Amino acid sequence: MSSNAVSLYLDPQIRDWVLFPITLVMILVGILRHYVVILLQSPPKKLPRAAIREQRALVRSQILRATSTNSPISESFYKSISRNLSQAFEAGTYLKDGPPKADAPSTPPNPLSDPNAMDGMMAGMKTQMVMMVPQMVIMGWINFFFQGFVLIKLPFPLTLGFKSMLQRGIETPDMDVRWVSSLSWYFLNFFGLNGLYRLILGGDNAADSTRDMTTPFAAGVPQAPGQAQDYNKLLKAEKDNLELAEGLYSWVGKDVEQRVLRRYGKLHSSL
Amino acid sequence: MSAPNPDAAAQRIYLPNVQHNSALMTVKFLSACFTGATAGILGLQNWLGFALFLASTLSTSACIYVINCKGRPAKYMPGGLWELVNPGQDNMFSFVLAWTLFFGIVHVYD
Repeated sequence: MSSNAVSLYLDPQIRDWVLFPITLVMILVGILRHYVVILLQSPPKKLPRAAIREQRALVRSQILRATSTNSPISESFYKSISRNLSQAFEAGTYLKDGPPKADAPSTPPNPLSDPNAMDGMMAGMKTQMVMMVPQMVIMGWINFFFQGFVLIKLPFPLTLGFKSMLQRGIETPDMDVRWVSSLSWYFLNFFGLNGLYRLILGGDNAADSTRDMTTPFAAGVPQAPGQAQDYNKLLKAEKDNLELAEGLYSWVGKDVEQRVLRRYGKLHSSL
Repeated sequence: MSAPNPDAAAQRIYLPNVQHNSALMTVKFLSACFTGATAGILGLQNWLGFALFLASTLSTSACIYVINCKGRPAKYMPGGLWELVNPGQDNMFSFVLAWTLFFGIVHVYD
């Protein structure tokens, strides 16, 4: 049974040459990762005007619909914009390739063959590789150079299950789990430095280890939304939504004269 | 005029102000780091250290609640009271890191 009264004496040189260097290296590598990802990002591909018009038409109708129950524009404006958009969506005037021909089968472009979507997926994969490789390298470095000795004592207790992971390389069956090796210091830093990165590099930084936890293929989703989607179907669905919103429409300023008069008490409530 | 439905309530939120609320996260992170350092230097172990973290989180939140939010956190933060008090997973790990570091420097090494 290990007694907590006896404590190990550790050489201060371990502190100087292992503890601080590992932390320093991890901070610097994190900052390096962040800037490498920024440099590796290619600027977003410029879409041709017709494609942008198609996307913007969808956004315009969504904006119009968003405030339809409490709308700031008056009835004639709202209804005219809404009807104009509905007709355009029905006829397909905003589509990138023009109104669909009556006999052409409408199939969405295959994401693997569409070059635009491929670029998006490659960019996502590149950033994932950049973020995973330094972590593997540092772990290998630590396992090679800093193995076989006790580094630090954890101030909190852990179960025996952690012993194999945290005391790797130290063959002492009944030493307290709180005395750990360098690899566990690596793990502590791995989780604990995210806050520091957020402070130094800003909120949306690429050095954050919580982002590595998400599946790689979640980041492989095409960056420009809608390039692999069939806009014809989308616009038709949007037309139905527009008609629904038109039914729910009500102007903010409706009966505003009555409301103002009532607020100032100039109107008897019986009228 | 109160907003009866959540959609209208969401439209009333001014986005740049919400982004400025990241200053709150900075405060939480710094307080977690200093709490870790304090716990390490004092040599607190086991549950005492976590109790100090809890106490510091509560006192920081209380200060912000009284001084900044003036008793109405729902007016300043979309998440309300829980968003004010919650330190977040990142800050928890930062506390443990700082605690371990200072405990090691002061109490383990000569």
